[in-house]
Amino acid sequence: MSREPFVATPGGGVEVHLRHDVITMLGELCDQLEELVKTRPPTDAAVARLYPPAYPDDPLRELEFERMTADDLASGRRSALDRMRATLRARVLGSEDADAWLRTLNDIRLVIGGRLEVTEESVPEDFAADEIAADTFAIYGLLGELQWLLLLAIDPAADEPPEELR
Amino acid sequence: MAKEARIVSSAGTLPSMHGGAATMSTAPVEIERPDVGTDDRDLPAPDVPWVVIVWNDPVNLMTYVTWVFQHLFGYPRAQATKLMLDVHHKGRAVVANGPRERCESDVARLHAYGLWATMQQDR
Repeated sequence: MSREPFVATPGGGVEVHLRHDVITMLGELCDQLEELVKTRPPTDAAVARLYPPAYPDDPLRELEFERMTADDLASGRRSALDRMRATLRARVLGSEDADAWLRTLNDIRLVIGGRLEVTEESVPEDFAADEIAADTFAIYGLLGELQWLLLLAIDPAADEPPEELR
Repeated sequence: MAKEARIVSSAGTLPSMHGGAATMSTAPVEIERPDVGTDDRDLPAPDVPWVVIVWNDPVNLMTYVTWVFQHLFGYPRAQATKLMLDVHHKGRAVVANGPRERCESDVARLHAYGLWATMQQDR
C-alpha cells in the first residue's frame, strides 16, 4: 500500500491510492458481505452482530422493532456496499462515497471480528496456529487501518483529543 | 473498542460531513444503575423518557465511534469524544434520549453504522 492511501482534496473529496491487489481483495470482501446480507443465515452469530437487538430484555417490542427496521437496515447495508464496490477504482471519493466505504469496511470488520471472536487484546500470535485464521486476522487489521486512515483524511484532527479532554 | 496506532499523519482540508445532521438539544446523561429486567411493559409510565445506550464492543475503532456520534447526531467533537470514551471505559454510554419513536429511529440509525445500540426507559 502507498504511504497514504487516502488524501483529502481541496474540493472536499478524498483521493484514493490503493494497490490493485488491495482493491481486488476489497471487492471480494464486498461480494461476501453482500451474500451474507442477502441470505442473513439465521444461526450465524457473526452475521447476527450486524443486527443487534434494540430491546434485549423485551422480546415482544424487539419483534416489532425488527419488523419495522430489518428491511431498511438490510437495504441500507446493500446500498453502502454497492456504492463502495462501484467506487473501488475511483480516483476521488465524494463525502457520500466515503460514508459508504466507512460503513462497509466496518460491517466487514464486524463479521470477521465475530468469526475470529476477537477481543480488544487480540494479537496476531493468537491466530498463528491456524493459517486461515492468521490471514483473516491480518486482513481484519488492514481493514481497520484503511478505515482509520480514511477517517483521518476526512478529518485530520480525528485522532487528536479535543481541547476540553486534554 | 479497538485502539489504533498512529502510522502516518494526513494533512489537508476538513470537509464538513455533518451539515445535515439533526442536533440534539439536550446533553445525554450518563446513568449508573442495575439492569431493570423485563417488566417495562407492565408499568404505566408513558411519559418517562427513553434513553439510547451504546455498548462497548471489541471491533469498532474509537475514531470511528466518535465520527458516528458527530455524523449522526451533530454532536461537537468534544461531546462525541467524551461519549466514545465513556463507552470505551465504562462499557456503555447514553448517547440520546427522548420519546420512544425518536429513540427507535436513533437506534436504527446507529445499527446502520454498525454500533451496538439498545434502548430502555430512563426510570
